[in-house]
Amino acid sequence: MSGAGMDNMQLEATDRSPAIDFKFDEAVFTITGESYPEDVSTFYGPVTERLFAWLAEQSPESVVFNFELIYFNSSSAKVILGIFDALEECAERGVNVVVNWHYDEEDDTMEELGEEFGEDLEHATFSMKKFSA
Amino acid sequence: MFAQSMYEFRNALHERGIIFCYSGYVTEPVLTGIGKTLKQKLVLEETDTKTMQNVFAIFVEQMQNIVRYSAETESDPKTKETELRYGLLSIGMEDDKFFVACGNKILLGDVKRLNDKLERLQELNKDELKSLYRETLRAPADEESKGAGIGFIDIARRSTRIIDFDFMDLDDTYAFFCLKAYV
Repeated sequence: MSGAGMDNMQLEATDRSPAIDFKFDEAVFTITGESYPEDVSTFYGPVTERLFAWLAEQSPESVVFNFELIYFNSSSAKVILGIFDALEECAERGVNVVVNWHYDEEDDTMEELGEEFGEDLEHATFSMKKFSA
Repeated sequence: MFAQSMYEFRNALHERGIIFCYSGYVTEPVLTGIGKTLKQKLVLEETDTKTMQNVFAIFVEQMQNIVRYSAETESDPKTKETELRYGLLSIGMEDDKFFVACGNKILLGDVKRLNDKLERLQELNKDELKSLYRETLRAPADEESKGAGIGFIDIARRSTRIIDFDFMDLDDTYAFFCLKAYV
């Protein structure tokens, strides 16, 4: 681990929650899978708390955030919006923030939702990435 | 006689095109279990990815709606806290389209507000639903009133036809609410 002094965060995917792979030492963050946890705040609370604190306190040169979601429910959408907002704030401070939205090429609902979240980013770089399941 | 009546019950569901039907107390583990089985069935049917995700998403929103808001409840006698909520959910095929329908009791006093919200959703086109989704997502949690928030908008967006809903007064306290979406 580098001098950031913070452990990385890794959570395995469950039936209803995505895999979390937050590499604080590399400033690369990835959320993969499906997201409709029983209780959104129980699952995302500790995850976003650490992420938001890190984004607010650290000033890395660049940050990469990958959303690799197959499905998320409406309660998770609020959390995703919160992550986008935090990334945009970080980019406003001059950090080079790249947000990648991966979506199944056959699922244009996920494509549309990604584009919508991306529209709110002005300082962060947003890119849509197709994958085939 | 027992087999006959059960078989007739099964056939009555089949005649309505119903593939899955659940009537009872809905909990998060019930949602998980039925959800997994629903996915298996959709994969077996070789449903395309987009349709599958939309059917599944509407199923999740309707089930969570019952879990959170059904007015037919069972409470712990000691703590008085609501432990279980009752509802009905079915998934089926009608005119080559999937449908997801739910029903549960609500308080009479909530009928008008819910009716107005859902009527408004019926009048919106896809772009307007998209704007409302964004707006609602951005609104603070306390302004997103109970029972007709982002979940219903998500259902309307994913539905390929206008969502169908209805209410029926049951007594002085309750009404029965049902909602159907097609994919």
